Amino acid sequence: MTLISKLLSTGAVGALVLATGAGVAAQTLEIATDASPVGLDPHVATAFSTILVNGPIYEGLTGIAADLSVIPVLAESWSVSDDGLTLTFDLRDGVTFHDGSAMTAEDVIASIERVQNPETGSPYASRIAAIGALEAPYDGTVVMTLTQPSAALLSQLAYVRIVPSDLAEDVDLQRQPVGTGPFAFSEWVPDTYIGLTAFDGYWEDGLPLVEGIRFNIVPEASTRQVGLSTGTYHMLPNVDSATALTLQGTPGVELLETADLAYSLIGMNVSAPPFDDPAVRRAVNTAIDREQLVQAVYFGQGQPGGPLSPSLENWALPVSEFDCYSGGAEEAQAILAEAGYSEPVALTIKALGTVQTVVDAAQVVQAQLNAAGFDVTLEVQEQGTFVQDWRNSNFQAFASLNGGNPDPDGYLYRTFRTGGSTNVFLYSDEEVDALLDEAQAETDMDARYDIYADLQRRLACEGPIAHLAYGTLYTAVSDDVTGYEMVGDRSTSYLRQTGLE
Amino acid sequence: MARYLAIRLSDLAIVLFGVSVIAFLMIRLIPGDAVEIMLGANAEVTDEQIALLRTRLGLDEPAITQYFAWIGNLLQGDLGTSLWTGVPVTQEIGGRIWVTLELSLLALLLSVVLAVPAGCAMAYFRSSAADYVIRVITIAGVTVPNFWLGALLIFLFFALFPSFPSVGWVDFSVDPLGNLARLLLPTIALAVPVLATLSRIARSAMLDSLGQDYIRTARSKGVSERAVVFKHALRNALIPFVTALGISAGYLFGGAIVVEQVFALPGLGRLMIGAIAERNYPLVQASILLVTATFVVINFVIDLAYAALDPRISLR
Repeated sequence: MTLISKLLSTGAVGALVLATGAGVAAQTLEIATDASPVGLDPHVATAFSTILVNGPIYEGLTGIAADLSVIPVLAESWSVSDDGLTLTFDLRDGVTFHDGSAMTAEDVIASIERVQNPETGSPYASRIAAIGALEAPYDGTVVMTLTQPSAALLSQLAYVRIVPSDLAEDVDLQRQPVGTGPFAFSEWVPDTYIGLTAFDGYWEDGLPLVEGIRFNIVPEASTRQVGLSTGTYHMLPNVDSATALTLQGTPGVELLETADLAYSLIGMNVSAPPFDDPAVRRAVNTAIDREQLVQAVYFGQGQPGGPLSPSLENWALPVSEFDCYSGGAEEAQAILAEAGYSEPVALTIKALGTVQTVVDAAQVVQAQLNAAGFDVTLEVQEQGTFVQDWRNSNFQAFASLNGGNPDPDGYLYRTFRTGGSTNVFLYSDEEVDALLDEAQAETDMDARYDIYADLQRRLACEGPIAHLAYGTLYTAVSDDVTGYEMVGDRSTSYLRQTGLE
Repeated sequence: MARYLAIRLSDLAIVLFGVSVIAFLMIRLIPGDAVEIMLGANAEVTDEQIALLRTRLGLDEPAITQYFAWIGNLLQGDLGTSLWTGVPVTQEIGGRIWVTLELSLLALLLSVVLAVPAGCAMAYFRSSAADYVIRVITIAGVTVPNFWLGALLIFLFFALFPSFPSVGWVDFSVDPLGNLARLLLPTIALAVPVLATLSRIARSAMLDSLGQDYIRTARSKGVSERAVVFKHALRNALIPFVTALGISAGYLFGGAIVVEQVFALPGLGRLMIGAIAERNYPLVQASILLVTATFVVINFVIDLAYAALDPRISLR
């Protein structure tokens, strides 16, 4: 062969190799986020920064799809007894943990018991309070006996991640996650990044599609945006409307969106004046113009809502059902006058300073209330101070952002039940309590719907919360990212099917 | 000399003791509780769970007990463990301090290397166009906030040199060129205000120096202009300059915190901001002590420099 033909054939082979190589795009997906997770133990940490990283690492018996429906994950199928008190789960075959051990019924039971154990201090314990006893009568089967029927349980089990029952002594789940998901934890360089690698023992063939994921910790928003535009980063997850607007139209950048299950709110302490008077609470709800607030704070990218997110299509009443939502300043003043308030009602709203939408919303609400017979002082607080005042109910009113849930019980029970874990408003109503308890144990969908409809009507206008709006969550991705879908609870489980072209 | 060192060391010990009490108290006197923050403003936990967590972290002991426990451990070299991560404080700080040191040193170097000639030039060519121009630039440099400058530089470099790595961090041992490239913009952002201040001080110190009698004598003796400026005037101007340098070191550290945030550098400043927001008591206390010790040591080095520069000053 002549030199030239040798070169040409080498070139041809080389090009062929490159072409096939490029088809198998084995790259690392670079994600940029603003906050470092405090810990990664899936049973203990509930912060958004932790959920972000744990999404591709851990799985539960069930999962929540993009449309908020419950899908089988580690449990292939399940059946519920007629009285609703026994749930039998058939576990999926061939599931392995990242440390190589096979997942068995024992691991499932141990994980659930760990969440239930008060020593663990898990915020998820209250979500699975209905589980009484757990058994594994045969391999690959878990039987749950409930203390009362629970329609919400299947969706809440998605949040109870399955971890190995026999973790080595020196493995601390806060720093070294071990799960069953498509990506395994690889390294954590503090303040810089958390790296995951594709798990080749994953139970679903052909997944995941990228070699690894890197969560880069980048506190400054402009730095993250520039990084996305230059191609340093492929994805900015769960950004707000303001950032999304800035990125719109940037070449090479695409915006994905979904409705946020979280909502902004004004919470009111009902144990002291002025909010011990339901008329005042109704006046607040009437005075707030939610449409205007959505325009001003969310740039139109959001919607007013009541106690349940509009994305819970099977449960949420349309806001037209709440008469106080279509009021206005004049009507609010009339309500106050009728209740005997001749002077402007003075109050202080404490706002969580770390979330920009909360601060903006608080300012809009202040202006709207001041025009309706109130005299509002706004106190924007730093996180530590806010959390302390919030937990100790040391406030007249506060402005904040509350997380949501795919099930109505997740929204309402802990918030409005007497003694509920997030009932910092000190709200207590016997009838509401009875309804909440009843709805929790009701398995007939129609009956349950009626109870929650009743609850929404009772709570929307005279409850301790003035629900403001449910925003739109965005994820900014570069053009070469495929297959990612957003879920309203900010889960990143769809990274399992995300690829890079 | 040994006696001098002993006195300075005992000074350091006294200062550190005082600061330890202040640091311990300050972080606890501000509202906000570490455990509550850890759980967040929407956590579905009961009061019992919070109490349990507090006991586990040793935070339910009275303050005095906690203080002495901390001091006791400190004297044995144990700075405690971070409340949130459980990682030893020495490891948390140790992993990050090099980043801040590298950044601050580079910024200091850049400032000094540019400030001295700038100051000399301004003094030598006083009242000329060059003098006025540089003086205006230095005023701008002093007033510009370094986080704004940092963000501006990022956008500027993105527009002009899109492939230049302006964000992120890579260790020097892994990729020396990449490391320095990523430090270029933060160093500039951090150094500009310091550089501006130092060059103005250099200028006035030089002017002062050049106006002295011995300079006139030297010139009339026939000493070359070069020797007059660099050997005689500059040497004497260095003393006030070195004082300013010591103060600038403090400013540099404070500015490094902000610059680290903007450029996403994993340094000590960012660690401290996070620790304070979290009320991560062991981490905050240890960081404050470390920073204090650094300042005292810097002052000590400055004093030694005086003695070296000015034979009239002796260490006592």
